[in-house]
Amino acid sequence: MAGLYIHIPYCVKKCDYCDFVSFCENDSIGRYVSALIREIEMTAQETSSRQEFGTVFFGGGTPSLLSGEQMCRIMDALRENFSVPANAECSMECNPGTATAANLRDYRAAGINRLSIGLQSASDALLKRVGRIHTYVQFSDTLRYARDAGFENIGVDVMHGLPGQTQADYLSTLKTVCDTGVTHVSAYALTLAEGTPLDERVSSGETILPDEDDVADMQDAGIEYLESRGYLRYEISNFARPGFECLHNLNYWENGEYLGLGVAAHSAVRLRQWTRYSNVETLKEYFRLVERGRRPLQETIRLYPADEMFECVMLGLRLVRGVERAAFRERFGADMAQVYPEAMEKLRARGWVEETEERIALNKLGLDLQNEALDFFM
Amino acid sequence: MAYPNELIRNFSIIAHIDHGKSTLADRMMELTDTVAERDMEEQLLDSMDIERERGITIKSSAVRMFYDHTDGKRYMFNLIDTPGHVDFNYEVSRALAACEGAVLVVDATQGIEAQTLANVYLAVDNGLEVVPVINKIDLPSAEPEFVAQEIEDVIGIEAKSAPKISAKNGTNVEQVLSAVVELIPPPAGDPDEPLTALVFDSIYDNYKGALSYVRVFGGTVKEGMRIRSMATGHEFEVTEVGVFTPALCAVDELTAGEVGYIAASIKSVAETKVGDTITSASHPAKKPLPGYKHVNPMVFCGIYPADGAHYDDLRDALEKLKLNDASLSYEQETSIALGYGFRCGFLGLLHMEIIQERLEREFDLDLVTTAPSVVYKVITTSGEERMIDNPTNLPPVTEIDWIEEPVVSATIMTPSEYVGSIMEICQERRGVFVDMNFIDKTRAGIHYILPLNEIIYDFFDQLKSRSRGYASFDYELKGYQKSELVKLDFLLNGECCDALSTIVHKDRAYTKGRAVAERLRDVIPRQQFEIPIQAAIGGKIIARETVKAVRKDVLAKCYGGDITRKKKLLEKQKEGKKRMRQIGTVSLPSEAFMSVLRIN
Repeated sequence: MAGLYIHIPYCVKKCDYCDFVSFCENDSIGRYVSALIREIEMTAQETSSRQEFGTVFFGGGTPSLLSGEQMCRIMDALRENFSVPANAECSMECNPGTATAANLRDYRAAGINRLSIGLQSASDALLKRVGRIHTYVQFSDTLRYARDAGFENIGVDVMHGLPGQTQADYLSTLKTVCDTGVTHVSAYALTLAEGTPLDERVSSGETILPDEDDVADMQDAGIEYLESRGYLRYEISNFARPGFECLHNLNYWENGEYLGLGVAAHSAVRLRQWTRYSNVETLKEYFRLVERGRRPLQETIRLYPADEMFECVMLGLRLVRGVERAAFRERFGADMAQVYPEAMEKLRARGWVEETEERIALNKLGLDLQNEALDFFM
Repeated sequence: MAYPNELIRNFSIIAHIDHGKSTLADRMMELTDTVAERDMEEQLLDSMDIERERGITIKSSAVRMFYDHTDGKRYMFNLIDTPGHVDFNYEVSRALAACEGAVLVVDATQGIEAQTLANVYLAVDNGLEVVPVINKIDLPSAEPEFVAQEIEDVIGIEAKSAPKISAKNGTNVEQVLSAVVELIPPPAGDPDEPLTALVFDSIYDNYKGALSYVRVFGGTVKEGMRIRSMATGHEFEVTEVGVFTPALCAVDELTAGEVGYIAASIKSVAETKVGDTITSASHPAKKPLPGYKHVNPMVFCGIYPADGAHYDDLRDALEKLKLNDASLSYEQETSIALGYGFRCGFLGLLHMEIIQERLEREFDLDLVTTAPSVVYKVITTSGEERMIDNPTNLPPVTEIDWIEEPVVSATIMTPSEYVGSIMEICQERRGVFVDMNFIDKTRAGIHYILPLNEIIYDFFDQLKSRSRGYASFDYELKGYQKSELVKLDFLLNGECCDALSTIVHKDRAYTKGRAVAERLRDVIPRQQFEIPIQAAIGGKIIARETVKAVRKDVLAKCYGGDITRKKKLLEKQKEGKKRMRQIGTVSLPSEAFMSVLRIN
């Protein structure tokens, strides 16, 4: 079922490695919430039938900068304008140091039933080094408030490859996270995005990142540890207790439809063709358009079936279970192995692929080098 | 009607880089109302962007000015602006040969530099009257009296009464104009004798074809006349003659003593060579003006398009540059590693850098350049002599009797406290000490014989950095010298990469091999398998490094369903791979080819 993504482009302070669309102009959050509700109404009016969405995801930025009342207004608007079943997975990203106990109670009351908390590391020194605004204690406070507010499905984000981080640091963070008993862990490697403060510090030699091999070792050790604690790897960087995979993200990886609302949000819908579109990327443009009653669209890309097919492969092969062959056949009228015979042959020759009647998936080796594997399909 | 010779002054300005040559020329043009103030652009004579940015002159140019002297007469000045760099030594010598005098500009805070001295000697050799001028007297650290003494001591010309000026502020520039009239002799020559015109530079003009910049020594040249190049014997019909104002301005004729240009539908500057004498086809002069020689390139390197598909664009670009630069040579070559490209010859390293930069900037090309090489002389066991400008073409060791390399005679001028570290650099680079003399209490001139291949890399940079920028350097080719040279090859995953091969002295081969191998390890991206890098002399491996296999290559977090961005990243990665060169199974980025060069 399709997903709904809501972007909240506000932060107290941007982290040194972040190149997502977010601004530190928090005075305008109120105006943004009103604009967002208008965008929801306009979008719903344009799509004639009341579309049903199985998941809702608030990403950012820092969605936990919203007040309980603001969250409630947005959720109400979503339910009024679209069909969001009572059992829909409704997630929000939440950053320690921003969410108060009262806010978390209000979010829960507004219908949010899953939290994704950005911890990144349990070491305060490492957090400071990458410009995070919080400490470990603030994370554990947030987690306690969340549970008190009634949240049971909670994911935690962690990172490896941070400047000065050792494997011991990383495993100790993972142990701390697993010990809290959360349901989901996202474990990403730090990537240097061009133009970010961290990128500049690394270029100038002021900050030194761990060696490539050390990062690979950290990742391998992390995967092993998480699985040993019952968090099964279901996507390159995502781990969950069985039954707690993030449904919203699974929909992306299955190349499903989703509607993105807010600044710089992205959507994918099936019109006559498979179509992706994106919203404008600045608050100023967003306000200007929405407040004049226009949808804040920036770019629309209509895809040919060949491109749509490649996207299914690119996204599907991120999943440990891989691409579901029946779904692929149903969507394109052909089997994936028959569409890409040469690529499949290369994958087999390298020993990166596992094929069954039901699925085509990369094994551990293939997942490590997914970009190289995708190169064969391009 | 010919301008009377006694009212003509032909001169150049000699100065070290940054000593104020272009600024002085600008001021002179202002004072003589040659260029209206509103049209005044800094460094008017340096018209190329590269010239203005680097503060250097690459092409000669000229300007005609009219100066009203205190004697009530109006003088015609022809100022010929010359390149200052040693790479363009021959052009400088021809430009000087076109003059009767030279204004020597010396920075009052710096004193005489090696480059200046070399050009002053050239001027003296050409019989020019040298007029010293001391510049930058506005600076607090200026020592004009001290510098005047230095000029007298080093060059042996009277300098006490030299104009002390600030070209920047315009102070005393008038005195320079007077000195030009009073000290520089007027040209000789008779407008009625057979034509002799010295070509001191040539440029290519899209409308007029190749233009010869000339100084007429005898006779007259005008439109419609048939002229002959005395170097090549080719004949042309003159379509236009003109002068530099500094823009090209057609005139009826150029007569003995004057400076200007000749257009004659000449297709390429290669047909109007610097140093050539132009004469009349119907009434030719008996012999050419002295000094013509063919200039051979000293430094060679391979230039390849980063993307093989742009080979034709590179060829067209080289062709266009060659139209305007007769000293650039190129011929097609093929490298196993780099595909189709060109072996290009240059007058020196600066010339090479300028051509590379112009190809990239003016023609928007992305290039891969191999390390520069000099021309080695190989005497084979069969007694044959071969000139080798590409290390790949070195015959097998068994066929070589001995190898000779070009050596230069180098002059380095430096404040005395850096003598020690500069001698160290020269020793490290196999220099043979000749002598040293003290110019004054604080400055020394050091002479060395150095192998050319030791100075084409970063010698000058090293000199500058170890003398805090104070040392200056000049050299001239001295000849060939027998040397213990070996070819250093690099193998990637067992396969020899021809574009990385280099010729080095035997004693340096081991260190260099190891350094380059290390460098390659750092610039070659990890690939799906481990890549051994080996440095080898003959069949013998002297160093080994390894590029480890890539372990993780995945895209990071997907932001808010922005699949398009992810796909673009993948495409970019694929594009990057495509741009890399394949040596067997190994992909090599273009920086790798320069890594042989950037090793100390």
